[in-house]
Amino acid sequence: MDWIIPAAVIVGLLAVSTALGLIWRARQGAPAVVTPGSSAPRRENDTVDLDELGAGGAPHAPHQGTRATLVQFSTAYCSSCPATRRVLSGISEGSADVAYLDVDVTERGDLIRRFRILQTPTVLVLDRHGEVRTRFGGAVRPAAVRTALEGIR
Amino acid sequence: MIDPRAPRFTAGITAVLLLVTIALSFAATVAAWVLLLALALLFLWGATAGVKRHPFGLLFRAAIRPRLAPPTELEDPKPPTFAQLVGFIVTGAGVLLALLGVPYAVTVAASLAFVAAFLNSVFGYCIGCQLYLLLARFRRSAGTPAAGA
Repeated sequence: MDWIIPAAVIVGLLAVSTALGLIWRARQGAPAVVTPGSSAPRRENDTVDLDELGAGGAPHAPHQGTRATLVQFSTAYCSSCPATRRVLSGISEGSADVAYLDVDVTERGDLIRRFRILQTPTVLVLDRHGEVRTRFGGAVRPAAVRTALEGIR
Repeated sequence: MIDPRAPRFTAGITAVLLLVTIALSFAATVAAWVLLLALALLFLWGATAGVKRHPFGLLFRAAIRPRLAPPTELEDPKPPTFAQLVGFIVTGAGVLLALLGVPYAVTVAASLAFVAAFLNSVFGYCIGCQLYLLLARFRRSAGTPAAGA
């Protein structure tokens, strides 16, 4: 039967693509919680100095939140960055002790390598010492960010 | 700025045409090659002239958008334009490799492009956005002095 192989290829492609899409969508905005003082070996990107994020010509020095700082990494080639920008700046404006910083890494290969950014937006939730407490890959959900902030004092 | 549904509509039509290409590639190889060439040229047009002037984008604006509610937000045309370039590279490679006699070049290239177009259209996944980050890793950063300087 001549049509069996083409039909199998097409059905297979549809199945694989749908599975990939469902996995990708389920993992969008999934938080990775970093436990402070855990026995896991510490990496060099556990603590973030906000000044280094602005290197390359930020107009003004970024300020750190007295409780937490939300750092968003974006590029010009990012379709879901504006939505995440709205969510995070809204949360920051609603709480006096949470700062928000959007870092455009379109031209910053150094930051992409240092923070191992594989998708945009990538969001880091820092505590007041600049330590990374939670990392989000992909478009974030407001409730997940609020939960991450609740754990930080 | 563009309606974000336009590139997803474009990707949807492209995905269907890529499936037709895949089906033809088993029976009518010349027709499949011609169709893949046409899709590669459409990708090239989208990447160079801009997604706003892509034929399927124009079709969306003329026939589909008037029937829909206004978009809740607009999107930068850069990501879908970059995606068109990625699509051109993949389908263009298939067209060339098929000319050189590589077996199944049309089928494989159309399949890869189909997965990307399908994910873009159905799930809103942007493969160009992710590939850009992989490429930008090798870019010297704006804040770093040039080597040897």
